[in-house]
Amino acid sequence: MQFVYKQPQMLKSGAISSNHAPDSSVSTPAQPSWRRIAFDPAPQDDFFLPDFCAPRMVLVIVLIVELLALTFALARPGGAEFLTELARISLFMQWLGLTAAAALCYSRRWLARLSVPAAVVTAFALLTINVAVLSEVTFLLGRNLSERGVSGNLFPDSHWTFLLRNVGITTIVTAMLLRYFFVAHQWSLHVRAEARSRIHALQARIRPHFFFNSMNTIASLTRSNPSRAEEAVADLADLFRATMKDSDEPSRMSAELELCRTYLRIEELRLGDRMTVQWRMDESLMLAIVPSLTIQPLLENAIHHGIEPLDGGGTVVVSGKLNGDDVEVTVTNPVTDVTGSYIRPGNRVALENIRERLSLAYGDRGRVEVTEEEGRYTVTLRFPYEE
Amino acid sequence: MNQPVLQVLIVDDEPHARERLERLVGELPHCKVVGLCGTGLEALTRASELQPSVVLLDIRMPGMSGIEAARHLSTLPAAPAVVFTTAYDEYAMEAFDAQAIGYLLKPVRKERLEQALRQAGKLSASQLKLVAAADREVAARQHIAVRVRDELRLIPVKDIQFFRADQKYVNVYHAGGEDLIDASLTELAEEFSAEFSRIHRSTLVSVGHLEAVERDQDGKHFVRIRDRDERLPVGRRQVRELKRLLTLR
Repeated sequence: MQFVYKQPQMLKSGAISSNHAPDSSVSTPAQPSWRRIAFDPAPQDDFFLPDFCAPRMVLVIVLIVELLALTFALARPGGAEFLTELARISLFMQWLGLTAAAALCYSRRWLARLSVPAAVVTAFALLTINVAVLSEVTFLLGRNLSERGVSGNLFPDSHWTFLLRNVGITTIVTAMLLRYFFVAHQWSLHVRAEARSRIHALQARIRPHFFFNSMNTIASLTRSNPSRAEEAVADLADLFRATMKDSDEPSRMSAELELCRTYLRIEELRLGDRMTVQWRMDESLMLAIVPSLTIQPLLENAIHHGIEPLDGGGTVVVSGKLNGDDVEVTVTNPVTDVTGSYIRPGNRVALENIRERLSLAYGDRGRVEVTEEEGRYTVTLRFPYEE
Repeated sequence: MNQPVLQVLIVDDEPHARERLERLVGELPHCKVVGLCGTGLEALTRASELQPSVVLLDIRMPGMSGIEAARHLSTLPAAPAVVFTTAYDEYAMEAFDAQAIGYLLKPVRKERLEQALRQAGKLSASQLKLVAAADREVAARQHIAVRVRDELRLIPVKDIQFFRADQKYVNVYHAGGEDLIDASLTELAEEFSAEFSRIHRSTLVSVGHLEAVERDQDGKHFVRIRDRDERLPVGRRQVRELKRLLTLR
């Protein structure tokens, strides 16, 4: 469905009517179901050890172990052939690495319940037992085989030296790795906390100019048109409530568009017929999940940079459609000739904020694109359609 | 007892803001609204016509900003006093405080309005120049005001081909002829650095009106301006900068 929304001449007609919204099915927003998609970047638990069952982690372990094996092979004084030596060490160490990963994979759930020091000690003990058992098995296997006369020089001959050396090396490597995991985890926690607080700070930002001008309009209306003033106060309150919300919970497209209209009603009071908004929103998008406050700031930008500085005003076009599996929302406004007029800063901030939130929520599939051609400035949001 | 009536001109692009100021001024004793304007340009023509004693001037308006309008108003023979109104312009407010220029914050309080109107004074061009420089959101002027006899004429900056310094004054050459203005070339070069280039100690040329750079037999460079016959000499040091500008264009 496509509809065009021309701003009515409210200065003459007086009170806002409820048919103001272009689509009545939209003006009663469905309450967004409580649903958190990836907006909170924190994983399920906050344990510092990564998940060793994940295929990527297994690959990492194999690589690390192989590098270590290479180091040991290189460090050996001459004697046996290098490649044989490498193969021998690799075989043993890969077994060691994979069994250790398996042990951590299965015990992670229990380890996560312990305090950090207790978890460290337990993980340490697990890995030490693992290496001791594996060394013992290897040694026994070698002795068994050599007793039967099968190639003896592939296996260690000195029992206790072999065992103690392995335990020593494992202890050092484990200590280093645990330390590394712990620090990396702290770091990522820190980064996430910072991103979250920045988003909240940006979200709560309302242009002071908009706020004070709206107050001024309301002050004027209180005498000339009290019922309009009353509605304007309610609109402003709704807008503030939305921006003050502490969570980054997504809402439905219909609710986000309702917020846009609330905002536009206030701007109309100030700008009168200088502002025209055309809506070309596909009806099928109304149930789509949208990170809240992603479209309204685009409108605010369009009006602030594209309409307000223009003597005769202009038209903002908001369109939305489904493009494959993606929702595509575009907002366009005329480009103003900034020569001698206001060069208005602040555009970047809002766009960066939206870009950051979309990429936090959808990764590579959440995108913001900006183009400028034929005298119009266009911002396009793209993100996966979800209901 | 017989206090003269203060004639007030209200300038604001928002109708409700104008309406409210009109009502508040109307309620004050010895004050009378003589006109309402929606743009800076309108304010300039109405001001010379109505000769108000005070202009209530919004800073942010489409087209000509309030600060630019005030700069042009200050060149009028009977320049009115100016009180700026603003919703929120940090830099401008700081500059007003520094220059002791009166301003009102919107929504305006009646008592503050009365006080500001009573204390309103004429602003000098130099005061306003400092304010314009401090207000980072307002860029260069869009017009240059020229006084022709007692009349104020505005030359759009985009019509200006070049400025040439001539002892104490600067000559403005534009599509509609040439005029004398009271300014320094250095200040103009700074204000219009985005569109004009200094090609000589005494000449500032609009990059948009440049046609070509030429060289004569002696190796001296000249600039040709579109729709003009004369050739302007280029200073030795400015040649390279000028060539860079032309390749960029």
